[in-house]
Amino acid sequence: MAVKMGFVIITSRCIDCDACMVACRAENQAPLGYSRNWVTNSGIKGRFPKVKQSFEPGNCMHCDSPSCVAVCPTGASYKRSDGIVLVEDAKCVGCKYCVEACPYDARFLNPNTGKADKCTLCIQRLEQGLQPACVQTCLGKARQAGDLNDPDSVVAKLLDLYPVRRLLTDAGTGPNIYYIDVPVSEIPEGK
Amino acid sequence: MHNEFAWGMLIVIYLFTAGLSAGAMVTSNSALLFGGEKYARIGRWGAYIAPFPIALGTGMLLLDLGSPFNFYHLFLQLQVKSPMSYGSWSILLFTLLSLVYFYLWLPERYQFWSQPQRAVHWQRLLAKVMPILAVIVASYTGVLLNAAARPLWQTPLLPELFLVSAFSTGIAAVILAGSLSRRWRAKHHELHILTVVDVVLVVIELILFAAMGLSAQLGTLSQRQAFAQLLYGHYAWMFWLLIVICGLVIPLVLETGELKGKVSAKWAGSLAIGSSFLVLFGGFFVRYVITYAGQWTGWVR
Repeated sequence: MAVKMGFVIITSRCIDCDACMVACRAENQAPLGYSRNWVTNSGIKGRFPKVKQSFEPGNCMHCDSPSCVAVCPTGASYKRSDGIVLVEDAKCVGCKYCVEACPYDARFLNPNTGKADKCTLCIQRLEQGLQPACVQTCLGKARQAGDLNDPDSVVAKLLDLYPVRRLLTDAGTGPNIYYIDVPVSEIPEGK
Repeated sequence: MHNEFAWGMLIVIYLFTAGLSAGAMVTSNSALLFGGEKYARIGRWGAYIAPFPIALGTGMLLLDLGSPFNFYHLFLQLQVKSPMSYGSWSILLFTLLSLVYFYLWLPERYQFWSQPQRAVHWQRLLAKVMPILAVIVASYTGVLLNAAARPLWQTPLLPELFLVSAFSTGIAAVILAGSLSRRWRAKHHELHILTVVDVVLVVIELILFAAMGLSAQLGTLSQRQAFAQLLYGHYAWMFWLLIVICGLVIPLVLETGELKGKVSAKWAGSLAIGSSFLVLFGGFFVRYVITYAGQWTGWVR
């Protein structure tokens, strides 16, 4: 099967330390005030003693049919054969149509470059055989990335073992971040 | 992640001016083709107004780009899935041809041809082509927002709303110019027919807003909550006061009063100016509220 890059994120392992955001900024030089990834906080749910709070990391979902790519008037936004959604800066005019069209608000206009900016799944690191910066730095191992179609990958094994959910499937873009909310005691070995 | 409006006032001005130009163009074209000499003032003012608002709006679009010097990439290709791509081509074509149309309406001494019939021939030819382009320019802005797939912008009635509002503002601009001008002041029968058409358009616009509200109520939770921002949320005062009351209901009352002859001739002129100004004012806020409220509201998780 074709390579299909994506994320599996285990919310039960996230402690909202925001190290993924710091690592991404250090690696990809996102300008201050903007970020390519995020951690949302559910706030405290329920009443004492039955209280609950959860954190949900996120970034570009590298969707199956990305609306940002469809609306791009110059073809600067594109999806690679391995599923990674990227922006070709030379063609981008900075019209912000893709920023509007993303249901996840995963894009922004980089004021330094004048181009649409987003998660690249750290392709520069993948080419060197490294994990994306946010995945490598995650101390709870909540963030996992890899080929969702490769049965030997960590992400595919997690998908097999645990119930998953995706965000805003109504929007119809086919997001490729799978969230696991149940406790995961051990991360499986894999690629 | 970001929490600001990616599309702001520059885009609102563009949406408004493009509609205004398209409306003025169709008004002029119809006056020329169906009215002839009897409605010449309408034809002239529509032609004189049409090229300039959209030219200003296009300038705003360029200023809004993150990489304005890269704009030529828009015209190196046609991306069939992107409304902005064919929209850019349509704006370019419309603006250029409306400048030609404008030129053909200039007094005879500016004309290139020695026989005036040649100019009239081209005028009539353009008057048959321009309405198609005008409808595309006026309604595609709605398709543009449709494709951005935000809850408020998803309604299929948005292109229709923008189209009707565009024609309404275009007519209002012609009424305004025709009432204020000395040299080419619009005659009474000309203002009368424009007012009749504008009343019909305003009623259609009110119906469209009602239909949008109804379809939002029947839609997803995200769509319901987004439209609620217009009805009683963050944008309610603008929606009710600036769009519905000032931009639609008051002009409707003034214009029907005028048509029924309840206004003395002394006041008729100022009344036409007042109501057409309000139509323009309301038309601007239609674009403003839809643009901002559409970004203010998102998908319910």
